[in-house]
Amino acid sequence: MIELRNVTKVFNKGRSNEFTAIEDVSLSIGARRLTVLKGPSGSGKTTALSIIGAMAKPTSGRVEVFGREITSLPERFLSRIRREHFGFIFQNFNLIKGISALENVMIPAYPCGENHGVLRNRAMGLLELFNVSGKADSMVNWLSGGEMQRVAIARALINNPQVIVADEPTAHLDTKLSREFMGIMAQLVRDGRTVMIASHDPLICDSEDIGMVVSFRDGRIEGVQENR
Amino acid sequence: MIWIEKQRNIIDLALSSLLRKSGKNLALVIIYTAIVFILASVVFFISSLKREAALVLEASPEIVVQKLVAGRQALAPESYIDAMRGLRGTANVRGRLWGHYFDSTVGANYTIMACDDDAQLAAGTITIGRGMARTLSLKKGDSMKFDAYDGTSVDFKVGEILPYRSELVASDLILLRSDGFRRIFGMEEGSYSDVTLQVANRKEMATVAGKIKKLLPDSRPILRDEVLRTYEAIFDWRGGLLIVILCGAVLAFIIFAWDKASGLSFEERREICILKAVGWDTSEVMAMKLWEGAVISLLSFIFGIIGAYLHVFYTSYFLFGPVLKGWSVLYPSYQLIPAVDPYQLAALFFLTVVPYTAATLIPLWGAASIDPDEGMRL
Repeated sequence: MIELRNVTKVFNKGRSNEFTAIEDVSLSIGARRLTVLKGPSGSGKTTALSIIGAMAKPTSGRVEVFGREITSLPERFLSRIRREHFGFIFQNFNLIKGISALENVMIPAYPCGENHGVLRNRAMGLLELFNVSGKADSMVNWLSGGEMQRVAIARALINNPQVIVADEPTAHLDTKLSREFMGIMAQLVRDGRTVMIASHDPLICDSEDIGMVVSFRDGRIEGVQENR
Repeated sequence: MIWIEKQRNIIDLALSSLLRKSGKNLALVIIYTAIVFILASVVFFISSLKREAALVLEASPEIVVQKLVAGRQALAPESYIDAMRGLRGTANVRGRLWGHYFDSTVGANYTIMACDDDAQLAAGTITIGRGMARTLSLKKGDSMKFDAYDGTSVDFKVGEILPYRSELVASDLILLRSDGFRRIFGMEEGSYSDVTLQVANRKEMATVAGKIKKLLPDSRPILRDEVLRTYEAIFDWRGGLLIVILCGAVLAFIIFAWDKASGLSFEERREICILKAVGWDTSEVMAMKLWEGAVISLLSFIFGIIGAYLHVFYTSYFLFGPVLKGWSVLYPSYQLIPAVDPYQLAALFFLTVVPYTAATLIPLWGAASIDPDEGMRL
């Protein structure tokens, strides 16, 4: 479903601070399974996830998503691919402060031009699914860590994407919330979605719900472990 | 339909975004409104004055001839009228009786004038302007006493109050019959304040004025167009003076607005990163920022225009009145008739709304350069 072929990403190319984040990475990720990109800080897993999620273009190599080569696509097409096929959960959840939880959930769908009422109902449905509908009108800054996490997951699902991409989602969560997060991700996989998580948290990497673990080190793939 | 819904959704977020920074944006709207208010007040006031002056002068005689003695205006004799009637191209040559009357009880000067045709008014009655009626609480049927030149008093009854058409010159006006006028001021029959006349061919006005000057060397012909030009020059000069004084304030606003509109705070940058990361295109981020700018500038424009309208036409422009009027030019007080020129509104719009909205586009060049994957590294 997602193919990376000889992908290299160099930041600040040609400058004194040139830095190769990943080098010659080739990877094939199957649908409807939970894949973890594992490795220490600076190993390249977040960069790999950005490239997979059409957020960054590789310096060289090719990327295919759902059988479509996306490396050469212009920015606006990549935006559409991100919007329609991917749901993102960021390290600090990256919710927009000062607006309500409900609005945060609706944001990725705004450019789709969907009817506001319909969109609102769908967002409310997702908040209900994750038991945070009572906080729909609360500003996100007032939410607890667990509530923010669930709002972030609801936001990732608003456009009904096939793939959920999460970058270090448990970095700031306690054990209980981390387990809760993994439980939700496992359920999403059972519902037919593909989940990709970049993490070095043992609680995630050792989870029995994981289908594949890709280990990164120094910008290269160190090993791939298929669990089932 | 999809486009409309999309814009609606984007506007929704733009409004939320504005409310989020409500303190800062409120301050901006207040300052912005004040600038529009000041500019619109000056424009409304000056154009209303010019409009009223033009309205009044439209009905005034094309040429007014004064007699000069030692460089000062003196009474014009009957022989003046006869001489001008003999000139080719002139019509309606008639002597005018007018002057000023100082009312010591209210400390105001009135313009007092005899009607063109005495038959228009009944003997012993006067017609007065609205400003006078207001100041003296006079209504139709009330009587008014004048101190005559010889120390005696003359009583008149208020027959009419002048219509609302133009308070600029009609505000302090008293119209009466010529015999009443001569009784108050002691002017003899056969002498006039000045002489007015019409010219059959408007292009010939300057030629006719030249002929009058030749025929009556001690006269001064005044053309209507000259009066109009003088009024315009005075009002434009005063408006310009005020604008120059306020330039500092306008400049400070421009700097403030530029800084506000073109700067990208950490929070704004973070917000743009998130939007792009979750699938917003650069053009959609730009649309949101444009809507934010449009909402601020449109609100300020509307508030400023409404404020200026009320200020100029309903509160007698109390803030800038002394500068714009000049006490010696227009006196006593009068109210302008509300009127707004759509071209001026459009000009104000382009001078205030468009620059600000355009300035909001600047940060979007920055936004366009933000990589969506920055959202992953926040």
